[in-house]
Amino acid sequence: MAFITRKHLSRRTFLRGAGVTMALPFLESMVPAATPLAQTAARPRTRFGAIYFPHGATMDKWTPAAEGSAFEFSEILQPLKPFRDRLNVISDLSHPQAYGGGSATSNHTRSAAAFLSGAQAKAGTQAYLGITMDQLAAQKIGQDTPLPSIELGIEDASLSCGDGLSCAYRDTISWQGPTSPLPMQNNPQVVFERLFGDGSTDAERRARRGQSLSLLDSVMGEASSLQKKLPSGDRNRVDQYLNDAREIERRVEKAGQQISADLNVPPAPAGIPKDFEQHIKLMFDLWVLAWQADITRITTLLMAKELSNSVYAKSGVRDAFHILSHHSNLRENMDRFAVLNRYHVTIFTYLLEKLQATPDGDGTLLDHSLVLYGSAMSDANQHNHNPLPIILAGSASGRLKGGRHIRNPKDTTMSNLLLAVLDKLDIRTDKFGDSTGMMQI
Amino acid sequence: MRGRQKYALMNSLGAAVIRFFLTLVLILFSQIAGAQNSPAFLTQYCITCHNQRLKTADLTLDTMDFEHVEKNAAAWEKVVRKIKTGMMPPSGARRPDRAALDNFASEVETRLDRAAALSPNPGTPALHRLNRTEYANTIRDLLAVEVDVATLLPGDDSTEGFDNIADALGTSPALVQGYVSAAMKISRRAVGDRTLIPTQITYPAPSGLSQDRHIEGLPLGTRGGMLIQHTFPMDAEYEFSVSGGFGGGTGGALMDVTMDGEKIAVTNPRSFRLAVKAGPHTIGAALVDRQRAAGVDEAYSDFRVKSVFTAAGAITSVVINGPFSATTPGDTPSRRRIFVCYPAAAGEEVPCARRIVTTLTRRAFRRPVLDAEIDALMSFYQQGRKEGDFEIGIQQALARVLVAPRFLYRIEEEPAGSKDGAPYRVSDLELASRLSFFLWSSTPDDELLDVAGKGRLRDPNVLAQQVKRMLADPKSGALITNFAGQWLYLRELAKVETAAKDFDENLRQAFRRETEMLFESIVREDRSIVSMLDADYTFVDERLARHYGIPNVRGSYFRRVTRDASSPRRGILGQGSILTVTSVGNRTSPVTRGKWILENILGTPAPVPPPGVETNLDKDQEAVKVTSLRQRLELHRASPVCASCHKIMDPIGFALENFDLIGTWRELDGKSPINASGILVDGTPLNGPADLRQALLGRREEFVATATEKLLTYALGRVVQYYDMPEVRRIVRDAAPKDYNFSSLVLGIVRSAPFQMRMKKS
Repeated sequence: MAFITRKHLSRRTFLRGAGVTMALPFLESMVPAATPLAQTAARPRTRFGAIYFPHGATMDKWTPAAEGSAFEFSEILQPLKPFRDRLNVISDLSHPQAYGGGSATSNHTRSAAAFLSGAQAKAGTQAYLGITMDQLAAQKIGQDTPLPSIELGIEDASLSCGDGLSCAYRDTISWQGPTSPLPMQNNPQVVFERLFGDGSTDAERRARRGQSLSLLDSVMGEASSLQKKLPSGDRNRVDQYLNDAREIERRVEKAGQQISADLNVPPAPAGIPKDFEQHIKLMFDLWVLAWQADITRITTLLMAKELSNSVYAKSGVRDAFHILSHHSNLRENMDRFAVLNRYHVTIFTYLLEKLQATPDGDGTLLDHSLVLYGSAMSDANQHNHNPLPIILAGSASGRLKGGRHIRNPKDTTMSNLLLAVLDKLDIRTDKFGDSTGMMQI
Repeated sequence: MRGRQKYALMNSLGAAVIRFFLTLVLILFSQIAGAQNSPAFLTQYCITCHNQRLKTADLTLDTMDFEHVEKNAAAWEKVVRKIKTGMMPPSGARRPDRAALDNFASEVETRLDRAAALSPNPGTPALHRLNRTEYANTIRDLLAVEVDVATLLPGDDSTEGFDNIADALGTSPALVQGYVSAAMKISRRAVGDRTLIPTQITYPAPSGLSQDRHIEGLPLGTRGGMLIQHTFPMDAEYEFSVSGGFGGGTGGALMDVTMDGEKIAVTNPRSFRLAVKAGPHTIGAALVDRQRAAGVDEAYSDFRVKSVFTAAGAITSVVINGPFSATTPGDTPSRRRIFVCYPAAAGEEVPCARRIVTTLTRRAFRRPVLDAEIDALMSFYQQGRKEGDFEIGIQQALARVLVAPRFLYRIEEEPAGSKDGAPYRVSDLELASRLSFFLWSSTPDDELLDVAGKGRLRDPNVLAQQVKRMLADPKSGALITNFAGQWLYLRELAKVETAAKDFDENLRQAFRRETEMLFESIVREDRSIVSMLDADYTFVDERLARHYGIPNVRGSYFRRVTRDASSPRRGILGQGSILTVTSVGNRTSPVTRGKWILENILGTPAPVPPPGVETNLDKDQEAVKVTSLRQRLELHRASPVCASCHKIMDPIGFALENFDLIGTWRELDGKSPINASGILVDGTPLNGPADLRQALLGRREEFVATATEKLLTYALGRVVQYYDMPEVRRIVRDAAPKDYNFSSLVLGIVRSAPFQMRMKKS
């Protein structure tokens, strides 16, 4: 990575220069000047990220033929070749909790819900799932940073999610607790502000942090007195609001201590790019920036929602995503779907490149992270949930050997992998979701 | 896994066979023995399957006391619904004639209603947080500020098709952070933000918008372009840039730029600067139409079809950057609303600030405010005054108001001494909030607060007057965009990706507009809700008229046209909007259309496929190539497991098969002639959309009940439960003499126990 001099780009200059192709030059102009923060870490901290894509993949073009370290990248996974020694292909996993009764719609909805939770989405007016793996990690390794985690998305909220299932199951892959789905933010401008605060100068950001602290403080006082007058059922809801306010207060204070003049805050991106590729690359830029500046160590990203009918014109395939995934077992449809799968993998390599290009302590961010890329759907034409397409990238600060195609006994639940990932993040627990044991990776 | 599915299917097939024989045995047995305490109807037609031994659908009618239906009210409500919609007894089983079925259903209803009257349960709604739409509308009405709420707050999750269900409106750290930062931004904008640096905002043209014809709202004699509402934060200069490919090759762009309808002389549209007064303005950018003069009724039309522009050039975006050399915050609607007084001398500052804060807070909290509350807010004023000046003081107090739980939540206090399980009336002020969030998706206005503050809103006449006034207010447009937009899936139109060639952005917008205008005409002209199914009129512009084959409609404005009795397109089931959102991208889906009508018109959600059942009809690739969609769907009949539900859904959808995936009329599907015939589950034969419409009109009470249930769900912000059904029936009954006109349904809901009361539940 080139060292960037600490030059203040005015918002106008930036936008003028960037024009419509904002996403690509974004990172270069926005990388904070090499800060002591990233350089002097005594012990590397392993970051965790997860990317979900819906509708599974054409599995016979995803799964490499050979097992172990002698495998060849399959047609879909070809773009990952440059990162061979920094990633593993993990096969034959299953998500049993994504199965269940109901319509195809609810099957899709349950998939996104099960991905990081290993739990089953329940019908009812209030969504109820389990804590997701990333959030368990955020509780343990996310408390030293201004933000325990960030959740990123690309698409808008869903409207109808099948059989009385809340759309929360499909709208997010991160759950702080059984009844606390975390919204995924799809506006880069909003993400940016979450990371760095609101304001165009350090002084302004500082003043606004101060103002928000006094607002939060006063709100908590009001809420406590309000509690007494409320019906008992409503008190829990105000409690939740209070807890969230307390958490924000903690984060703002943390940001005040940590995001100091050290950080050259780049100008904010403007709105949501219309083009998918620009949009997601901008999200990846923000992701890397947040890890690099140690604003957070945990990131999840929903590349598209289950049942999304986005069209990815740049892939060369003109079909709508979900419709094409119903390939009717026709070879030509499956092959076209594979092209789309491969396109998404190519998009993923943009993140891997950035992580590899970003120095972190004695190595790079990719050395010091684990990034899960996968789906909880296997063949969307069948709505089945095994074998799942899963990639685990990153070296976990030297604790994960790459370059392997790891096969599992048939129908091994993916929760066993999630348990293993937690272990690599130094989080010891006996069980996660529907795990039956820890997968050896 | 395929193995497991097959196994499950065979298992359930096996079970079905066993069930069939058991049923035979039980029919014989039950006819001899008879079940105790159950009327003959149940014994004859229901208990053979729904009994303690078989427990079909977990329903044991032989254990349920018919003399005390209140003990199993939830189950009895289901029984009523299944019978009334013709789902039960299942076809193939012995079933009485329709009159007998209806008689029995209404007997059960009467008993349920009687029991409910003795111990009403208005429900216990959860504490309601303003959703994104309600928040944005409230900010608009409170401060005259239009906000792009999607950039301020995370999205809300929908439940049961609506995004205003209190149970689903939880919080998260991101939400609280959003509220705090939104409060600071909005308060700065409302007062006038002197720290503002130039910010660039881009308005892109919707992709797929055809720009070869005139667009409504832009000057006559132009084609294509965009109309933008933009709020300018300060009296200042702003930079504009209109981009686009202006082809044609003869001298470049011929553009027409307007502000608030007045032409702006621009030499270079790609970059120009204007001094603009603070506040909202409308900017239009269009291309001068050099081919056609306005009003010429040309013999040809050249809408973009098959993705080809027939007229070159289009406007692709409008960029506004500023403010530059800002002088003052100007005289904006927001400032007029906030500064009800302005101090002329230092001594006037505190009393004036107090007046401003009191006025704002009463509106924001939707009730009179206490002195202690104002004192607390005034400390924020003092803080801001100390840091800056009077206006910064007001701005900081305003920010504090906007993060108050009393603003963000619709608080309903529990009266002291209320007993568990005892219903009580909510206060007049709480009722005012329920009313305005129902009809306006926004906060009560001063008049409503005044009436409620005097304790007069509970007076039925005053309440009716207010409802009438509020429905007539333009803010009731929220019922169209939010209620109808969600009930009828119109919001899904924005996401539709279709393989249909003749589809562009103009058609997408026209589809939505047509259905919204039909619903709007029902609201504004107070027509019967049944017109949704059979209105003899609709609304079209030229684009839509062409799509429907209606002759002699020219121009971009929507107008009412008559649909004669023979038109297959009468009512929403012939409209492109509904037909498109119920298709699946590359073909129609009779199953989806059938399911949509069952859920949204008849109020009987289809049962979901049992676990493990293979739902993919296109598994056999050879079959996909050689058979028609109809033939493949007929496979549903071959399996008893599938048939039990699909014989309910599929025939409804088949009746609409003459409408293709974007609602174009067709006689052929590929090479096969369309077969739009079928038999409804209650035995009614159908052939085509007119028959379907007649059949649904024959079930108009069910439709009205469904519309009422949806409207009640939306009004209460909670999922309608079995104990609400007696009220739903009462509303429908009371609306019958008014021919179910819209206001009779709204009044029925507003007067209902669940709307006016709540029950304490610990």
